[in-house]
Amino acid sequence: MASVSEMYDVGWEEMRDKLRKWREDNFRNSEQIVDVGEELISEHGSKLGDDIWIIYEQVMIAALDCSRDDLALTCLQELRKQFPDSHRVKRLSGMRLEALERYDEANKHYDAILQEDPTNTAARKRKISILKAQGKSTEAIRELNEYLEHCINLLIVFPCDFHSYGKAAFCLEELMMTNPHNHLYCEQYAEVKYTQGGLENLELSRKYFAQALRLNNRNMRALFGLYMSASHIAASPKVSAKVKKDNMKYASWAASQINRAYKLAGRGTKENKCSVKAVEEMLESMQITMS
Amino acid sequence: MGEVELSCRAYVKMYLHACLFPRCSINGLLLSSSSAGGAVCVTDCVPLLHSHLPLAPITQLALTQVDVWCSQTQQRIVGYYQANACVSDSSPTPCALKIADKIAEQFDSAVLLMLDGSKMSPDYRVPPIVMYERKDSRWTLKDKHMIMLRQWEETRAIAGQMMESGDHMQLVDFDTHLDDITKDWTNQKLNTKIAELASPANGNI
Repeated sequence: MASVSEMYDVGWEEMRDKLRKWREDNFRNSEQIVDVGEELISEHGSKLGDDIWIIYEQVMIAALDCSRDDLALTCLQELRKQFPDSHRVKRLSGMRLEALERYDEANKHYDAILQEDPTNTAARKRKISILKAQGKSTEAIRELNEYLEHCINLLIVFPCDFHSYGKAAFCLEELMMTNPHNHLYCEQYAEVKYTQGGLENLELSRKYFAQALRLNNRNMRALFGLYMSASHIAASPKVSAKVKKDNMKYASWAASQINRAYKLAGRGTKENKCSVKAVEEMLESMQITMS
Repeated sequence: MGEVELSCRAYVKMYLHACLFPRCSINGLLLSSSSAGGAVCVTDCVPLLHSHLPLAPITQLALTQVDVWCSQTQQRIVGYYQANACVSDSSPTPCALKIADKIAEQFDSAVLLMLDGSKMSPDYRVPPIVMYERKDSRWTLKDKHMIMLRQWEETRAIAGQMMESGDHMQLVDFDTHLDDITKDWTNQKLNTKIAELASPANGNI
């Protein structure tokens, strides 16, 4: 069979540049990559310098697509020799095992990565796709939930920009869609909206605190959240008289529920008296700012 | 900025809070029952969160509730503490700075205390804390010599002993309280136990 360079009359540099272009543009033209890459590596490997490693990776992935496990293994072995402890290479090992449908072994690889680096999102995503490939949709959803929760945590603890809370809200929207009965996601979403601030977000937060309560009427965070969001809306100069009145109703309902819950909790326990009083006063002090 | 004194009770409860949730970020408020002026004496602390995201509503709620309780009990909020889930990094997060700023609005000499997770093993000799104070609108490291822990050896021993006997399982933070409001975030039971363990000869703990 004629070589690529013969067929297309190209030199090794052009082959290398083509591979780079395909990498940068994220092309998955795996058969072409395998043809060009295999020849480049075997005939001109020594000329590639440090580029050879990223080419090994590119060719390996393409080889898996074309069921060329022999080529994939060769590339992988070279990468393993050069980068023995790399998580990136471990992930490639995992991908190869996935392609061979050796899912348990692949999972072990990804778990090992996550053990050392719990923030490794690539490994988490691979685990989810394995579950989907095996038709285990419940488990896939569970892993997806964990992944999203992890993202939310990162976004909120270390907000890197103005959009971090928005991104966290988006993750929570995904979680609420796949887990519609989960009151915690509803309540967290409401909290993010509240934190983002502004009248529209406050109204959304109030709605979702209310929804969380419908799903679980003992969620104290949701109850307090409802009280706080409704109070803030009622206190806003931008709302109509009707909206003000409605929100004052929601707030006072929430306040009475809170007081009732604390009175019930405080029965019989002497030590709880401080909490009950603190809550009563707190609700009163918040009301003053409202009017 | 002046001296800051950390009482046994405040330190032990912070320590137990961190031990109870070793894989989470935890935070809480530092309180003082002494009058303003002179050294800041942190006499107590209220553990706040461990799992819940540090978002506005619950944080506001906790600050307001603790504030109200403080005014009922002649105390004031004088600082904030936090221990990061990632033990290798004990620097204040954006959330920590925000809350500390809020506290500083009400109390000039407010302190921000970070617990250093990497130094909390049983054989640690020095208090695993890093303290910040506000200078020119920025939180800067406080001179270690201005931080006092009276009876440090005894405090360390009490903290260790209570950990060993599982007392940290009884610690209630605000998060736990919201999950079950019959639980007391002022931790009176633990306060009593700490006082009992402290040397009877030592009057001012």
